[in-house]
Amino acid sequence: MVVVLFGVSLFVFAIMMIIPPGRRAAIYVTQEKITPDQMNAMIKKYGLDDPAPVQYVRWLKQILSGNFGYSVTASAPVIEGFKTYFPITLELVLYATPLIILVGIWLGTIGAVHKDKPLDHATRVFAIIGYSLPTFWLGLILLMIFYGYLGIFPPGYLSNKGKDILFSPAFKRYTYILTVDAVLNWRWNIFWDALYHLALPTINLILLNSALILRLMRSSMLEALGQDYIRTALAKGADKRTIYNIHARRNAMIPVITISGILFAGLLGGMVITETIFARDGIGLWMARAALQMDVPAIMFNVLFLGTVFVVFNLIVDVVYAYIDPRIRLA
Amino acid sequence: MQKLIETRDIYTDFFTFEGVVKALNGVSIIVNQGETYGLVGESGCGKSVTVRSIMRIVQSPGRIVDGKILLFLSLEDKEQGIDILKRSEAYMESIRGNDISMIFQEASTSLNPVLSIGYQVAESFLLHRLDEMLKETIDTLKGEIESGKFFIAGWWKKFQEFLFKAELDGLEKYTEMVAGIDKRLYELEDAADKASIDERNHLNRKRDRLRKTVPVVQFVRHLPFIKHYGKKLHKTIRIHVVDLLKELGVANPHNVVDMYPHELSGGMQQRIVIAIALACHPKLLIADEPTSNLDVTIQAQIIDLIKILKNTSIASVLFITHDLGLVAEMCDRVTVMYAGDACETAAVKDLFKEPLHPYTKGLLRSVPKLKAQKELESIPGTVPNLIHPPSGCRFHPRCPHAKDICSGDKPPLIEYSEGHFIACYLYI
Repeated sequence: MVVVLFGVSLFVFAIMMIIPPGRRAAIYVTQEKITPDQMNAMIKKYGLDDPAPVQYVRWLKQILSGNFGYSVTASAPVIEGFKTYFPITLELVLYATPLIILVGIWLGTIGAVHKDKPLDHATRVFAIIGYSLPTFWLGLILLMIFYGYLGIFPPGYLSNKGKDILFSPAFKRYTYILTVDAVLNWRWNIFWDALYHLALPTINLILLNSALILRLMRSSMLEALGQDYIRTALAKGADKRTIYNIHARRNAMIPVITISGILFAGLLGGMVITETIFARDGIGLWMARAALQMDVPAIMFNVLFLGTVFVVFNLIVDVVYAYIDPRIRLA
Repeated sequence: MQKLIETRDIYTDFFTFEGVVKALNGVSIIVNQGETYGLVGESGCGKSVTVRSIMRIVQSPGRIVDGKILLFLSLEDKEQGIDILKRSEAYMESIRGNDISMIFQEASTSLNPVLSIGYQVAESFLLHRLDEMLKETIDTLKGEIESGKFFIAGWWKKFQEFLFKAELDGLEKYTEMVAGIDKRLYELEDAADKASIDERNHLNRKRDRLRKTVPVVQFVRHLPFIKHYGKKLHKTIRIHVVDLLKELGVANPHNVVDMYPHELSGGMQQRIVIAIALACHPKLLIADEPTSNLDVTIQAQIIDLIKILKNTSIASVLFITHDLGLVAEMCDRVTVMYAGDACETAAVKDLFKEPLHPYTKGLLRSVPKLKAQKELESIPGTVPNLIHPPSGCRFHPRCPHAKDICSGDKPPLIEYSEGHFIACYLYI
């Protein structure tokens, strides 16, 4: 895990080094006009023209001592920026991913069980729509229909009234995840308000992402249903429900779990478009801004963070594998 | 002799993209009580499809299109038999694994890799012996409560007992309703008028919809923590599973129940498959090439095991194989199949002494013999494509005695001598 993260940091740092020192320094310049001498002095002061390995070691030392630097795009230290942006993303992902997986598995099972029947075709149409629609198009259309015409499910993460309470000292932030904090503060109006704002992006993500899981679940469920052990279960006198739920589904879950782990980790880092459309200041939006403005500390931190997330999720996926399939448990 | 199961002219077709595969062409066999019945023929001749039709587990795209499968299980239907093709799926579920069960070739793939051996065997008990298991569990719980050793846990045990009793009540009501429906269905068995057929279909659907569990228990079973009350039941079943495995000669049954299929050897896996099939003491055991893919010593062990079980716990065995030696050793009566036709049925001795059908003769001649010096004989030609099977007798293109009449109609099955049935124009 550490090796993977080291490799990731080395790779991204190398890319950052391609950018000339002047441009890397430019983001910290606050005056309108600056002389070349001042600029050079700045580059010298921060050692931006040192050899790349020297800079890398210096950066690594700072990281290891817990100093991640200052992010200009967040106008706060990187850690503070992370604390404000990440929970908003995490909240959406926490609600959306389980639903994506459940919807995918559920529809996939329906498709496999009713193979080549109208229900199966219906799920396939759903999958094609989910596959092929661009995120921005679907997001905008959803926003247009629900918020524009019907006036429900507004964008953003909280209503203004809710924000007043949120930023009042009486409201304690424990986890920075809005719905959880709302419950901990026993502020149910904030809780419902937050959910109300979450609904549309969640629907958007479900429509777009469950298609993949659906297709995967359908095909692996079909494969499992064709196996010999299903015949044994039939000969035992098991009813359809037992066969689908106990005998076939667990065998069909393995590829689905792999994809689910990758999906979860991927969503945590890359919902730039969804977050932009629904005006949620999440980590995706922050990273996009940081990349555009050469906010090196923020980029490096987020890349490292995403690397960690992927490594951790691979680990979780492996553990779940072992739980589901005893053959992996021993190997 | 008392019949146990009889098939009358079953036709099973597979509706594939290339065309309709006519896998069974009017197969009629009769398995009697207490007999070992052999079904022989080369690969693809429809042996497996025949037994799957009997159990009604022909998987899509296959379908039984015509015929009757009569089951003579209880005393009241000794005369007429129950036509299982007219019964509901739920009825079949109650029959499979309970009265008729099946063991398969390739035990390694017939066992579910992600479920423990214990659970896979226990499922047979859960599906067919739930009432007995519940009663036993309630009895043990009662004993434990009365022993008075448990102060706090006693309440939990009383709660468990209450839930199990509710489950048992629900099950008894279910059994009662099912018995009523089945009785009415039996009366309607041979009905031909539309009203009765409608009623029969309605009853079948009703039986399919009936649920074994009462809604309360169903709900409780999904609650966190409380759902663990069911563990007691599984403990009871586990005792039975261990006993069964011990009976079948599985070493260390206490450990084996917690293992998974991949941790066992091929012979052990086959024993587990047999255990699943035998859990409820079936009246008919169908063995679909149970010894293929096992090495010879294990084969002998499994065959011996089936022989012993035949004497102790099962009434009849329907044995499928392409090994004529095994047939001679195991079976009382045997049917030779060719390309979906049942060509010849006879007692084993008669068949080996006096084979009648040209295909049987060819088959017996092509068995390798230890002392033979000559080249092994074979039947010329190949097995026909069953999408476009030959007309009449399906063997006639390869038959050395073929006459004009053979390509016309299918030859009828006639009794040549006592107990020796043959479908061939040579003997008419």
